[in-house]
Parts: sequence; C-alpha cells; structure tokens
Amino acid sequence: MTSSTHPFEQEEVMAYLDGELSANRAVSVAAHLRECTECAALAEQMRGVSSQLSNWSVEAAPASLTKNLEAARADHALVKETKRAGFAGWLTEKIPSFKNRWVLGAAGAAAGVVLLFALTLPTRRREQHSEGWAQLAYTEQLRSAETAPSKSAAGEVEAFIAQARPSPPPSPEPTQPMIARTASVSLIVKDFGPLEASVKAVAQRHNGYIASLNSASPQDAARTLSATLRIPSAQLESTIAELKQLGRVEQESQSGEEVTKEFTDRAARMKNARATEERLLDVLRNHTGQVKDILATEQEIARVRGDIEQMEADQRSLQTRVDFATVELSVQEEYKASLQGAPTAIGTRLRNAAVEGYRTVVESVIGFGVWALQSLPTVLLWGLVLFAPARWIWKRLRRPAVSQS
Amino acid sequence: MTSDEQLILELQQGSDEAFTELFLRYRERVYGFFRRRMNDAAQAEELAQETFLAVLRAAQRYEPRATFRAYLFGIAFNILAAHRRKSVLNPTQPDRAPDEPSDPSGTNPENVIWVRQAVERLEAAEREVLLLREFEELSYEEIAKILRAPVNTVRSRLFRARMALREILAIAPRNLRGRK
Repeated sequence: MTSSTHPFEQEEVMAYLDGELSANRAVSVAAHLRECTECAALAEQMRGVSSQLSNWSVEAAPASLTKNLEAARADHALVKETKRAGFAGWLTEKIPSFKNRWVLGAAGAAAGVVLLFALTLPTRRREQHSEGWAQLAYTEQLRSAETAPSKSAAGEVEAFIAQARPSPPPSPEPTQPMIARTASVSLIVKDFGPLEASVKAVAQRHNGYIASLNSASPQDAARTLSATLRIPSAQLESTIAELKQLGRVEQESQSGEEVTKEFTDRAARMKNARATEERLLDVLRNHTGQVKDILATEQEIARVRGDIEQMEADQRSLQTRVDFATVELSVQEEYKASLQGAPTAIGTRLRNAAVEGYRTVVESVIGFGVWALQSLPTVLLWGLVLFAPARWIWKRLRRPAVSQS
Repeated sequence: MTSDEQLILELQQGSDEAFTELFLRYRERVYGFFRRRMNDAAQAEELAQETFLAVLRAAQRYEPRATFRAYLFGIAFNILAAHRRKSVLNPTQPDRAPDEPSDPSGTNPENVIWVRQAVERLEAAEREVLLLREFEELSYEEIAKILRAPVNTVRSRLFRARMALREILAIAPRNLRGRK
C-alpha cells in the first residue's frame, strides 16, 4: 500500500485511531476508511493490537507502598532534625555503602536537595502530616469498599463514567467587564529603615500578599527596594493611597487589561467540550458495540476530559489575575550626599581627577588594542585579496595618462 | 471532581490532602508503569514510591502548561532511566528476575504472559513508545517531550511497534502452546 493508491499514509490511519489528527483531517480519514477495505483492515488490526495489549493487567499495588511512602514522608520531615542531631555523623555512617565517587557526588547533591526541601517545607505541613495520613488510610478503606463490586465489565464502564463525569463549571459567566489590573508606583523615602515592614503591613492589611521583594544596600549609593504585591482588585486604590504615604511619589501609573473576551470565549469552548463529553458518556452508557468500540470511546472521553481540565486551569489562572491586581513598587532612599561627611577636599578632587584621567588613557589604549586585534586580521586579509586588482586598476588608470602626455 | 492540575496547584500551596488524593488516583497506574517494565515487584514498588516522593519534592516546579499525567509519567520515566543506569553500573542487583507470571491474580495468566513476552521482543525504543501510548495513554506530543524526540519519530516508532507486535502476536500463540 503506497500513498499513490491511498490518499493517506498508514501512519495517519493510526494517528486517526489515536485521536491525534486535526478535526478536518480526521473527517477525511474516516470517510476514506468507509470506502477503502485495505485501510479499514489496517485500522481493524491496529485496534486488535490495542485490545490484545489491554489484556496485560498487573496485580494491584501492594498495601506496603502506602505504608512505606508514609514512612518516607516522615523521614523527609525529620531531615531538619537529623541535621541538628549530627548530619555529619549520619553521612559518614552511610558513606561506606557507596561504591564510587560518582555515586557519592550524586548522593551529596540528592542530600542537598532533600535538605533544602526540608528547610523550605512549611512548618504547617509537618504539623498536619499525621492527620493527613490518618485520613489517607481511611479514604483508602472507603475506596477499596467502593471499587470492590466494580470488577465486572458493566461495573467498570459505570465506574469510568462516574470518574469522567464533568465537574461543575468553576466560575460563572462574567456579568461585568473582567479587568486584570496592574499598577506601578515609584517612591523616594527619607527613612528607609522601617520600609520593608511597612510594605508588608500594607499588603497584609489589604488581604494581599507579596509575590517578590528585593532590597539592595550598595555602599556609596542610595538604598533601593523593589517589590511586587498582589492585592485584591477591589482594594487596589486604597492600597496605592497607603503606599504613597510612605514617601514622595516620583512616578505612578495604572493600567488594566480587558480579559472578558478571552474568559467568555474559553467558557464557551468549555461548555462545548462538556457537551461533547456528555454525549460520549451517553454513547458509552448505551453501548451495544464490541470491546474495541468501548475502548475507542473511552479514549476519546479521556482526551476531551484532558482538554476540559486544561481549559479549567487556564480559566482559573485568568480569574486569579483579575481577582488580584499587581502592584509593582519601587522605592529609593533619598540620597544623602551632604550627610556623609565634609565636602571633598580640593586635593582629593584633583587626585580623583588624575586617577580618572589615567584610567581613561589606559581604557583608550586597551580599547585601541582590542580594536586592532579584532580588526587587523580582517583588514590584512582583504588587503591581500584586493591588492592585485587594485594595483592592476591603478596601472590601467595611469597608462592612458602616460600615453596622452 | 477536582482536576489533577487543580490538585497539584493546591499541593504547591502546601495542601496535604491534595497529595493524598493524587496518590490515590495514580497509585495503581504508577505501580503498573514500573511493573510492566520490570519483573521484580519489590523494585517496582520502591520506584513507584520514589516517584511520588519526587512529585512531592518537585511540586513547585510543575507549571500548568502540561497535564499532570504527562508530568507524573515524565518523572516516573526519569526515575526508571536512572535506575537502569544504576543497574548497569552495579549489576549485582539484576533488573530482570527469572520469569514469573506477571499477574497471578489476572483473569487469564496465559494471555498475559503471551502479550508480555511479545512486547519484550520489540526493540527497546519502540517498546517504550508503545507502552507510554497504550498504558499511560499519553499523546504523541507528551511522549515526544518525555523521550526528547521529535513527534514524527514517536509516531513512526509507534507505528513500527504496533506492526511488529501484530506479527509477533499472530505467531506467538502457536509457539506458546508448542512449548507447553
């Protein structure tokens, strides 16, 4: 079978069965499959391979997996304590079991990762830990009780439908324009000391949070602080007003990006996808076909579900951008040049000027050297290449002059 | 039902329940992932555990661009690759135990052995694509990302794997029965 006799490659027929073709292409392949017995046979074989593979089931995961994972998580939470109790001792105890340096290095890196993880782990998680796992054991009991009767084929289909049932829409249709707001404020403050605390307090008072905060204190210049605050949109104005009280406003701007269309479009697409899913579930529920048809339907449902979940995630992140406005704050300390000592003496200024002058000379010499090293090879090359023609032209130009004279 | 992606975002915020739910949803599939690729059940269990710990550890690195499923099996695949490298360096622990039925509780053990043996006869690269597609149900693009190969390569490997498997399965039952 070649593409000269068939409009589609065999691989494309397979991609069609896997739901990997664009809608247009899929419709064409489906039409072709109805007409061409050869391609239909290929599709049939492909489905056969898939359904034979589905015979390969493995035993259920052992219960010890849950137990051991629980223990391992407890270990993670304890790494911090282990470090205090003598991390070096623990390490030297483990080292003899390693066979070579490479493994040792990797283990060191892994230990570093674990340690970092344990240090950044919110304390809250450690406190909730035992509670969470008690709940896990309980939920698991419920699960096994639930799934036990669904061993039969019909039961499995029902379980699948229950699992794939669309979740309710995460957010209602917007009734007013949705605007993702951004503001930026630049301030100059006299007193830099309590600034960081004040900024944090402002964010907290308005139920917002600080997404990032950087402060720099260079030696001979004014200190600066830049922060990104996420503030509930409704409180943006009052937050900015409060921030402005921290110092003198140098620059302030606000902007809003209208995202209603994006939101509504995606909501519509999600609605369509849910309807498709519901239809497919109906097909599955009232199935009379063979196993391969059920498998194909299930695969299609899984794909649609994946799309829906992706769109839901995007929708939620957009909603967050609308709910929480972004404030870019940058603060500079008022430059207190006069307070840093007596005005510079004339001698020092002359000396500084001399140093500057010397530095400029050195810089320019180095600059020339760099330029020469960079350009000379090229200049030489072209000089060599162009020398002969230039000489020839020069001679040609001179010869008539000579003959005229 | 809360989506997997929602759950991992909750896990990023430090929710213990979200991890528990993800674990319950994917326990069997992650265990199956390793179990189909190695004969040693204990080893498979250990690597499955490692995978979930890695999810916990690296939750912050998840970005909502990919589905959680692709992310999870990407991690599982990396752990498996690391384990295989280790087995090569340290061959005292063999990856493959002597043949034993992979599914003692299965509905049709003979069928299972037959399919498993057929898959084992495929070329390694083709087998991996086939397993990721059939059992982990990843899209061509997701597989391509995990294997760091172009999508077209994935598609043709998958095609070759299925064609080869069809051939093997067509003759396998005779061989199997002949041996018994």
